[in-house]
Amino acid sequence: MMTTSDPPMTSDTPADAAVSAITFADGLIGCPNWHNFVLMTDDEEDLPVGVLQSQDDPKVSLMITDPCLILPEYTIALDAETRKALELESGQPTAYCTLSVSAEGELTANLLGPLVVNPSNRRAIQMVLADSTYSARHPVARLGQTES
Amino acid sequence: MLVLSRRPEQSLLLGDDVTVIVLAVDGDRVKLGIQAPASVSILRGELYAQLKAANAAAATNQPTVARVTEALRTGRLGTPTPQ
Repeated sequence: MMTTSDPPMTSDTPADAAVSAITFADGLIGCPNWHNFVLMTDDEEDLPVGVLQSQDDPKVSLMITDPCLILPEYTIALDAETRKALELESGQPTAYCTLSVSAEGELTANLLGPLVVNPSNRRAIQMVLADSTYSARHPVARLGQTES
Repeated sequence: MLVLSRRPEQSLLLGDDVTVIVLAVDGDRVKLGIQAPASVSILRGELYAQLKAANAAAATNQPTVARVTEALRTGRLGTPTPQ
């Protein structure tokens, strides 16, 4: 029987703290020096809220989640250039959106500039869905005042 | 900053392979045509500013990660069982 080659899973890491390296060759938009991250997720939780920890700057960590959790109908139109950058010939990349909390405690998701990752080689880029109506500060929840 | 005056249908070159053409001027709107290799990313300045700000804001989250996870967890999944 023919089998398709599945992307390598992080089965060699502890189940409660799956860790994998992700590389943004071009950095992020406006942050061109953010190249190397480690994605930390907690497999114990159903909610895939992960943290992208920068390996270049220990102060930089990005909270990310599955954008379909925010908007079930969320879609990304993948263009040829993005596929090329990810070296992804077929299939779909894994998409994440970053989460931010304002000083007022508003939790927002960046749906305009999702982070897309090729699961087999861990190459990633930040896309810009310029033709969409998605917002860079899509309201998700209100957490109340944050401690100062 | 280099400042140039151009009329409709005039163009300018950025490097060897990017051409910007003024297609039309209508009141306070300028219609530009851009010829560039597909590998050159072209982004409206406002979008770049929004995404830069969103990335910077996302990176200053560190102290709130646990709190947000907790909020989402308790909001959607009920009380977690700490290990």
